[in-house]
Amino acid sequence: MYEFVSGPLVWISFGIFFIGLLVRVISYIKGLDWQKDRVAYSAAGIPGAAKSIVYWLIPFGSQGWKNNPFFTIGTFIFHICLLGVPIFLLAHNILLDESWGISWWTISDSTADWITLIFFVAVIFLVIRRIVNPNVRLLTTGYDYLILAIAAAPFITGYMAYHQWMDYKTILIIHILCGELMLIAIPFTKLSHFVLFFCSRAQLGMDYGIKRGGRYGRGICW
Amino acid sequence: MRKRAVALYAGMGVLISILTFMLMPAYSQEDIVNLADSAFGDRERPAAVFAHEEHNEKAEIEECNVCHHLYRGGNKVDDESSEGTNCSACHYVEGGDTTRPLMKAYHELCKSCHQENKAGPVTCGECHRK
Ligand code: HEC
Ligand code: HEC
Ligand code: HEC
Ligand code: HEC
Repeated sequence: MYEFVSGPLVWISFGIFFIGLLVRVISYIKGLDWQKDRVAYSAAGIPGAAKSIVYWLIPFGSQGWKNNPFFTIGTFIFHICLLGVPIFLLAHNILLDESWGISWWTISDSTADWITLIFFVAVIFLVIRRIVNPNVRLLTTGYDYLILAIAAAPFITGYMAYHQWMDYKTILIIHILCGELMLIAIPFTKLSHFVLFFCSRAQLGMDYGIKRGGRYGRGICW
Repeated sequence: MRKRAVALYAGMGVLISILTFMLMPAYSQEDIVNLADSAFGDRERPAAVFAHEEHNEKAEIEECNVCHHLYRGGNKVDDESSEGTNCSACHYVEGGDTTRPLMKAYHELCKSCHQENKAGPVTCGECHRK
């Protein structure tokens, strides 16, 4: 079982992940329509597009972030942990090195352990926010919690595997399956914002950059 | 004066023997139940379980130099072995110009055989048991 989930299934899930995301990006771009959107997508919009992406990647960079400081802090912590822990985890790098001969910097296991706990706090914050903030509650369905659970599951099971709680081998296999489930879910669910964030920021950035005074120096970044 | 010197030497002798006893690595291979290679310094993981004698009996490994190998001029010497020399004497934690780093050396030696034989642990927690 371990051989299968850590071998062929890794290839399958990364395959679906990359091809799926490529399809999502291509169909996003193909779906743009300057007549319906009333935006002249052109090279003139590139600075606005780049600006929008960059400012939204910086905490408190955009007006949208400034308006919601707590959410900004919570979501940035969440995303940094979400990407940072799996990519820089020593164990993942060892396995990558063994199968492909590549690896990069790693964080120590105890650091990863702490960051994972911080991640859990961020997850709880995001859940509470959906419950207590009326504006967000209105938009929230069970689907949103499912998405959050898919993103949190590899961390919960990874934490359990590292600490060897319950039956180690079983938990490890579940951990790997959860990671693969997340990879596969990304192109098919809201998790596709992993790449579509860049697409929609670019689109809106062009719109604002071209139409709403962006060319005349009023460079507010919403 | 003489007596004090004798007492001093005797005291030092006792101290040194206690120290060597304490600092001596596990002195017989029967005693090895896990490998906590001190070369690593600050460890990330619990020691790898490895009951030397029992393991090699169970796995039916006859030759010591399957693990305790010896290289000369870049080639493995088939009929000699290096037991008694620590892996870390040739494989360095930070890696060296001619030999693979210590952790990689251990993992490769242990895991590749387990994988080939489809027997023995291959996941982190099965070897680095809490
Ligand atoms: C499966 C691999 C393996 C085999 C086979 C093996 N050893 Fe070892 N042995 C080890 C490892 C690993 C160590 C720890 C080395 C270190 O700490 O650097 C060790 C340590 C030793 C030590 C040193 C113990 C100490 O006190 O530090 C001796 C002596 C030894 N082995 C003898 C033997 C002899 C003799 C044989 C053949 C009958 C043998 N080994 C076969 C893996 C093996
Ligand atoms: C006398 C020095 C010396 C000792 C002691 C030694 N090695 Fe090596 N080892 C080498 C050299 C030299 C090479 C070849 C260069 C390389 O590929 O790293 C090598 C290669 C290896 C390799 C890759 C090739 C192969 O045979 O699989 C592994 C794995 C390895 N060593 C593990 C170990 C382990 C584990 C120990 C301790 C039980 C150990 N070595 C003890 C010198 C040594
Ligand atoms: C040449 C092959 C070979 C090498 C090298 C080897 N092993 Fe094994 N190991 C085996 C085999 C075969 C088994 C399964 C034995 C059995 O239970 O029948 C095994 C089993 C084990 C087990 C499980 C023992 C048990 O009682 O269930 C552990 C732990 C283990 N190996 C650790 C190590 C470590 C650590 C190293 C490296 C220092 C190592 N092995 C190197 C062949 C090897
Ligand atoms: C077949 C057994 C085996 C497996 C599987 C294994 N290791 Fe090891 N590992 C060892 C041995 C043997 C050593 C060197 C002896 C020691 O000090 O424990 C070692 C050393 C290490 C070290 C350096 C010592 C330290 O704690 O800082 C790290 C880190 C490590 N292993 C992490 C991992 C991770 C992460 C995995 C899973 C991806 C893994 N190992 C899988 C046997 C194993």
